[in-house]
Amino acid sequence: MTGRLLRSRGARKFRRNRLAMAALGVILLYFATAVFLFFGGVSMEATKERVAPKHTPGFFQTPDLDQRLAFAMHFISEVDSATRLASRRDQHPHDILVEKALAERRPARLEPQRYDELLDEAFGILEEELDLVDNIADHPELEPRVERVEEIAAAFFPMPTGWEGRAYWSRTFLGSDAAGQSISIRAIYSIKVAFQIGLITSVISVLFGSLLGAAAAFFGGWVDHAITWVFSTLSSIPYLVLLSVLIVVFFGTIFDDPERPFLSLVPIYVAFCSTFWIGPCRVIRGETMKIKELEYVQAATAIGFGRVYILLKHVIPNTAHLMFINFSLLFIGAIKSEVILSFLGLGVKGQASWGIMIRDAKDEVASYFFWQIGAATFLMFVLVLAFNIFTDALQDAFDPRHVD
Amino acid sequence: MIQRAASNAEPILTVRNLTTRFRTDLGLVTAVDDVSFDVAAGETLGIVGESGCGKTVTSKSIMRLLPEQVTRIDPKSRILFKGVNLATADEAAMRSIRGDKIAMIFQEPMTSLNPVFRVGWQIDEALKYHTTLNRAQRRARTIEMLRLVEIPNPERRVDEYPHQLSGGMRQRVMIAIALCCEPDILIADEPTTALDVTIQAQILNLMEGLKRKLNTAIVLITHNLGVVAQVCDRVIVMYAGRIIETGSVHDIFHRPQHPYTQALLESIPKRGRREHGKRLPTIPGIVPSLHDLPSHCRFADRCRYKQDKCIAAEPDLIETGDGRAYRCFYPLNQAPAAPTVGAR
Amino acid sequence: MWSFILRRLLYNVPVYLGILLLVMGLLRVRNPVYAYLGKNADEKQIAQLEESFGLNDPFIVQYGRFLWKGLRLDFGESWKYQGTTVREKLLASIPPSMSITVPALILTSVISITVGLMSSFYRGRWIDRLLVIAAVLGMSISFLVYIIFGQFFGAFLPKQMGLEWWPLEIGGSFDLWFSMSSFSVFGLRVPYPDINAMTWVKFCLLPVLISVIVSMGYDTRFYRAVMVEECNRDYIITARAKGATKRKIMFVHMLKNAMIPIITRIMTTLPFLITGSILLEMYFNIPGMGRTLITAITDMDYPMIQGFTAVIALLYILSIILTDVLYALVDPRVRLS
Repeated sequence: MTGRLLRSRGARKFRRNRLAMAALGVILLYFATAVFLFFGGVSMEATKERVAPKHTPGFFQTPDLDQRLAFAMHFISEVDSATRLASRRDQHPHDILVEKALAERRPARLEPQRYDELLDEAFGILEEELDLVDNIADHPELEPRVERVEEIAAAFFPMPTGWEGRAYWSRTFLGSDAAGQSISIRAIYSIKVAFQIGLITSVISVLFGSLLGAAAAFFGGWVDHAITWVFSTLSSIPYLVLLSVLIVVFFGTIFDDPERPFLSLVPIYVAFCSTFWIGPCRVIRGETMKIKELEYVQAATAIGFGRVYILLKHVIPNTAHLMFINFSLLFIGAIKSEVILSFLGLGVKGQASWGIMIRDAKDEVASYFFWQIGAATFLMFVLVLAFNIFTDALQDAFDPRHVD
Repeated sequence: MIQRAASNAEPILTVRNLTTRFRTDLGLVTAVDDVSFDVAAGETLGIVGESGCGKTVTSKSIMRLLPEQVTRIDPKSRILFKGVNLATADEAAMRSIRGDKIAMIFQEPMTSLNPVFRVGWQIDEALKYHTTLNRAQRRARTIEMLRLVEIPNPERRVDEYPHQLSGGMRQRVMIAIALCCEPDILIADEPTTALDVTIQAQILNLMEGLKRKLNTAIVLITHNLGVVAQVCDRVIVMYAGRIIETGSVHDIFHRPQHPYTQALLESIPKRGRREHGKRLPTIPGIVPSLHDLPSHCRFADRCRYKQDKCIAAEPDLIETGDGRAYRCFYPLNQAPAAPTVGAR
Repeated sequence: MWSFILRRLLYNVPVYLGILLLVMGLLRVRNPVYAYLGKNADEKQIAQLEESFGLNDPFIVQYGRFLWKGLRLDFGESWKYQGTTVREKLLASIPPSMSITVPALILTSVISITVGLMSSFYRGRWIDRLLVIAAVLGMSISFLVYIIFGQFFGAFLPKQMGLEWWPLEIGGSFDLWFSMSSFSVFGLRVPYPDINAMTWVKFCLLPVLISVIVSMGYDTRFYRAVMVEECNRDYIITARAKGATKRKIMFVHMLKNAMIPIITRIMTTLPFLITGSILLEMYFNIPGMGRTLITAITDMDYPMIQGFTAVIALLYILSIILTDVLYALVDPRVRLS
């Protein structure tokens, strides 16, 4: 079935379309990334780790003074509690800290008394000089003091070098969000979530919808009536409302647990699949109606092949191009709908996704911080654009009725 | 002059070296290749050939109705009509000629009329563009035209929609639209192909009668030689974008010179000539694709008289002076015994 | 004509009954009362709510009762907003929704039909290519991003730059605007004279503009495709052979034929505008149908969900029937068959 499609005239036309081939390349690149992520390329923990001061702008610009101070203090308080625990247990603080690699920054092993000296100095600066000021961000003259605190933090947790340095760079070059999490890592990780949702829902919907559509048209009678009734019913409920109701049904079950991010995607799969199959079902039904009247199907009937055999062997393979087009359309639909559902609080839970990022970023815009919404939108835009171009080219090449 | 009209009247349309190319997905193709002919006032010229031989493209090139973006009419082509070269005329000039001086009717009467406008409106539209009649006069003229094309009850039909009419009726309406401005030339592109055989004869008779009444020249494009025999004065036979033979109807039917013409004639079922148990002769093979035309004679691969020379070069169109021309190295039915093989 | 309308109505009755069955069924997958009250509700409360909602009866009885009461627009009382009937909430949320969706639909249709026509008129030229590319690019951006940046550039930035005269307001005081400046007749809120063109511009123009921009990409592409498809019809050649100008062909011959898909498009957008505005209403705090319904869904306010879906689905089906009727008015072939 696929082979026949790939050798067809439409496929040749498609391959000559350079823009479409470029779009296909982009899609494959994203897909490869998604596969890489799926097999543990980036762990989910990495998307939640605090790697930089809150709202650090991308390309290594410096964030506000207060955020820098808060981020440095994040390391220092970690060391502080470690030294206290160490003195109680009579251990070297490093033994306790060694487990804590904070964003590729590994603890340095210092002389035990050095820990106390540096901690005293840091807290001294904090309490005596900086604590009196209301808003440090408005006092650029205090920058040397904040820098000193940062130096102390860097003494405890030196900036990584070499391979780890590069990994650290990749985590911070697009800045950080409100929780100091890496925007680049979260945006990339979202590719996996998008492909998970997109692939699963569109493959199931296209297969299910096409089968039902073909069956409805091919067998006619009450089968057709029943299937038509189901899809006209479903499509008479506003799409977002239906999605929301379907997802709300899962509230309070094990599928509604941010701690189980994989299970929590199930309501999305169910909701998308139960609405997405309508499109391919309609299209394939119409196409099958036409194919049914063609000579070769009637010839096959006359020879005496069974109806199910004809349906599977002669009718469905000839609708393959429409299935591909619908798959591509649904993929776009799934990605876009995920964003909208996540905004409404009904979408992805417990892990990063473009929808979650855009939702989180909606208030950042008011403080002129565009890195998070920019990264999520850009990655999503490129993928959806590639799919749009790909779909258009598919329709152009395979669907003679379609006009550009 | 390559070829003179059978009647000695001055030609009103002169086509010279018409070459039309299309841009397609698979590259540039030449649909009509170096076609030249004349149309004399009042005559009926038939253009015959299999589908895809370029006959429709020829007619649409004359009317310049081909989609602009993908069509290239070669600059050396000339389509002279009343001193204007239609091949290069601008769109405004073409508009004043279309429908007024040269009109056209099409193969598919079911879809050629606009489904959402009344029949009368669609005839009226042509009058509006090309005459100075007022509304009432145009309406009277519209009804008169409907009566002329023998539509019963024209006063009522004028306000009906195309879907309320049968195929034959719609083709009559198309003829009424085409003839309402009394054009000099009517190009009829397969006007009867989509119709029932009985209706076909009626439509042909109607066209024949109107031609006499209005002294309109008709260019009849068809693949049906029976139709040609019935109404045409002269015939052009086309194959794969080229003219391969021309002549009067009598000559073409009785003394075909090109093997293709002969084969075409043989494939018409004839009353009385049919022998029991014998199949109707067909032409083996298929028309070569315009995407890769042979550089030798385009018919050679299907020709039963094929010689070595035929697959070495392409013959030119040879005029024989009596209004006839053929494109073959070994023409049939020559008066003196030329070195033809298979001539009987 | 009337029998045609009646037939369409009858045909859609089973579909409508199906919608209600589906929604009510879905809502009862889990006990709605538990879902609403949460895990630590006391027995008495539960029993009381179940009783008042008639949840102890068999499903078919509940379904019948809902239908019977629904005929009189009686969907019971909201759980969340005690003392308010669903009907009141419904009627109160229609004007805010309409104040966005109606202008948005009109603007979108007018602009995108014009642009689509222009694009197909100049097919293959640079302006057409530009529009086609712009449409694809525009379609590839999420609705949410349009809203966020629409608000940022449309209202936030100009205010920050100190443009006092800038008319567009960041939606936030919307709720207030609607609740204060309207009064109620037969339970239906009627805009008070305070809602005038100026205040409309202030509060509604921005969401309307955003909604127009979002739909532009899809709509212009659609209308262009419709017109381009008409370009390939035989009757166009006939018209050209008659000597008609390109303009005449486009705006007389093609446009009347294209009216059929255009009407369908506009009509099917009608109910979508209610849902499409869910996002806008959520974001701009517009107390319209969409936001009220989504809030009810996340609050598990079951009478509200049932009532709202019943009404929205009814509007949807009526718009489908209206489409069929309009078809018949435009296309002589349908009218007479």
